[in-house]
Amino acid sequence: MAAVRPFGKLPALNSAALLLVGSDEGAQQQLAEAILKEKKSFKISIHLATSLPLPSERDHLRPRIDLIAFMIDIKSKYSLKNVEASLAHVDASFFLGKVCFLVTGVGRVNYCSVETNAVWKLRDVYCSPVLYCELELEGIRVATAQRLLRMLQICAGHVPGVSALSFGSLMRNSEDEQP
Amino acid sequence: MFSVLFSLFPTKCQSKLTLLGTETLPESDAKLSLLMMRVKALTAEYNLWQKRSPEIISTNPDVLVALGKEELQKVKNDLEMVLSTVQSKNKKLREDLKREQQWHDEQLQIVDVLSGIEEEMKNQVVQFSEKRILVLIFTSENMWGILHFPVVLYFFLRSNSSCSVHILNLMLLVFQILINKLMSTPHEPYLTISDSFWPPYIELLLRYGIALRHPEDPNRIRLEAFHQ
Repeated sequence: MAAVRPFGKLPALNSAALLLVGSDEGAQQQLAEAILKEKKSFKISIHLATSLPLPSERDHLRPRIDLIAFMIDIKSKYSLKNVEASLAHVDASFFLGKVCFLVTGVGRVNYCSVETNAVWKLRDVYCSPVLYCELELEGIRVATAQRLLRMLQICAGHVPGVSALSFGSLMRNSEDEQP
Repeated sequence: MFSVLFSLFPTKCQSKLTLLGTETLPESDAKLSLLMMRVKALTAEYNLWQKRSPEIISTNPDVLVALGKEELQKVKNDLEMVLSTVQSKNKKLREDLKREQQWHDEQLQIVDVLSGIEEEMKNQVVQFSEKRILVLIFTSENMWGILHFPVVLYFFLRSNSSCSVHILNLMLLVFQILINKLMSTPHEPYLTISDSFWPPYIELLLRYGIALRHPEDPNRIRLEAFHQ
């Protein structure tokens, strides 16, 4: 089993890699396509996985992962459990701004299975930002793709003067309304 | 930041980092260890920033002015976009509020109407119970009327309480009035009747010869003088 490490490999020139971890493969595919459609100035590769740790067979082919986005479907408790199990296999230095949680399916209020408290607990313990989105709506899907792309750009170090850590802290402080 | 450093010193840093290996967060107190790490990393970044000093882009004032203008233009565009987004959001919220207010008012109206209906129902229930009491009273005193004239009972129950009192009273009253008239004023035994005197009863009195019509005026009757 290969561990994913933030600085374990050399970065490639003008490119970034995003890892999406989540149990809903359809949603992952949708989001990945939306991100690839966006206008960008650097090469991007998106890796999809249902859980961590990643299998070690193809480790040498994988580029350095710049941002891990854990996708939690608010309608399925299993996706939350899956994410929690995968979090244990993430190298600690990823949590310095290179991890974010993506909560999907927030449009359907009637079918919420995952409590907001559980999501906030994740946010507090792992000190990472949480993005809420509804991937079935085209507009929100595009907006989320743009946000992730921007985050990826910063986490890959393409934006001078802004580091992943400072950006992560900025995001957390701006959304921190709860006690 | 680190990746920028990275590209400058690939071999030295990279080999060091590769040797570090993975370390995951401990199960218990994950937050504490993570926060400690963040403190260390942030202090390192902070120190780095302290050591840097801003470099001057160029000493040429025209270049600086042009660059400044460009920056300000970008900022202006961004702010305008934000302003229009916020304005449209506000408008949508106002419309939503108005709609919800209308719905709320409608619901209040519905509540009023329903409580009105409830009041009416309550009154009907009261009326019904009043009727019951009246029936009891009248049947005990006037069993005769109800027993002999089941139609009266039917009529009584169908109409509301005040009317039925009237009817029953009139029925007996007619007889009483006739008797009184005959006894008290023998010279003037005729009673003028109207439709309020329950015509079937009058009919009955006339047919059985208990009461007689006035020979000239069909609207006047008198009691037959049985005692003479």
